[in-house]
Amino acid sequence: MRCLLMGGQACVFYGGAEFSRDLDLMLLLEESNLERMGQALGELQASRIAVPEFGADVLARGHAVHFRCEAEAARGLRIDVMAALRGVGPFSELWARRTVIEAEGEPIDLLSLEDLIRAKKTQREKDWPVIRRLVETSYYSAERSDVDRVSFWLRELRTPELLMEVARRFPDVAGGVSRRAVESALRGDLEAVEADLEQERQQERAADRNYWAPLLKELEQMRRGIGSGGG
Amino acid sequence: MREMERRILAADLVGEEWAEWYAMTPQQRWEESAKLWQTYLALGGSLEPEPDPDSPFFDEAEWRALSADGRAGVRVLRRGGV
Repeated sequence: MRCLLMGGQACVFYGGAEFSRDLDLMLLLEESNLERMGQALGELQASRIAVPEFGADVLARGHAVHFRCEAEAARGLRIDVMAALRGVGPFSELWARRTVIEAEGEPIDLLSLEDLIRAKKTQREKDWPVIRRLVETSYYSAERSDVDRVSFWLRELRTPELLMEVARRFPDVAGGVSRRAVESALRGDLEAVEADLEQERQQERAADRNYWAPLLKELEQMRRGIGSGGG
Repeated sequence: MREMERRILAADLVGEEWAEWYAMTPQQRWEESAKLWQTYLALGGSLEPEPDPDSPFFDEAEWRALSADGRAGVRVLRRGGV
């Protein structure tokens, strides 16, 4: 089955969180893959929570389908399945960039760190400190500082002091990065960096709200359908 | 690439606990988180998501129904859960 672990569990692996109580999966939308996911959910005795129903159409439009497991080994575990995310590429690209880990002898495919960060730029307040920690972990755990890695930090760091530090350490790379906060960092203006980062955050949150607006309307209609017995 | 000497330490930025977390390998973080998971469940922690009105997935009616089941409101043992 082709699916990628994302959300909180992936954040644990990359250092942005210490704990997550659910499982978020990104699924390849192909018929055979959907069937395999259906079988796996069946083995976990997972029942769907609320709306929408599990199906290719709703997943392709960007909805998440929520399940709760009843099988002994995973009783109560909540699984959220998605197949499209705002701000990231198609599944084939995400798959090509994935990270593979081994846990208890089994390989697990994770969304890459960069894709995870893009996916985390949501309207939810609680995602933003996680992004900050994900990039901080990358910075502090790096054994080397090649241009790609430095560019990544300069594009994604959300810690003003660290962004100033990286711009100071690598001014040549910073000069080639198109980001207002980096320009402010190169000028040594901490207050401007803070303001730029906050503006980025507000823009992303607004973009995410806009992305979800039509989907929320659909969800509301689905919920009303259930409420009126049509569902 | 040119490097300047003054660097911010992780512990100064985020405190000792998070600095330790950052310093672990991904595999170590995974294993430590699994231990937290076991402890959390042993203490009766709920696997239902916390109410998050910011989330597009948040359904107030569903949350009310879930929170009426009387399960213990145990919280994450270490900060920073997603």
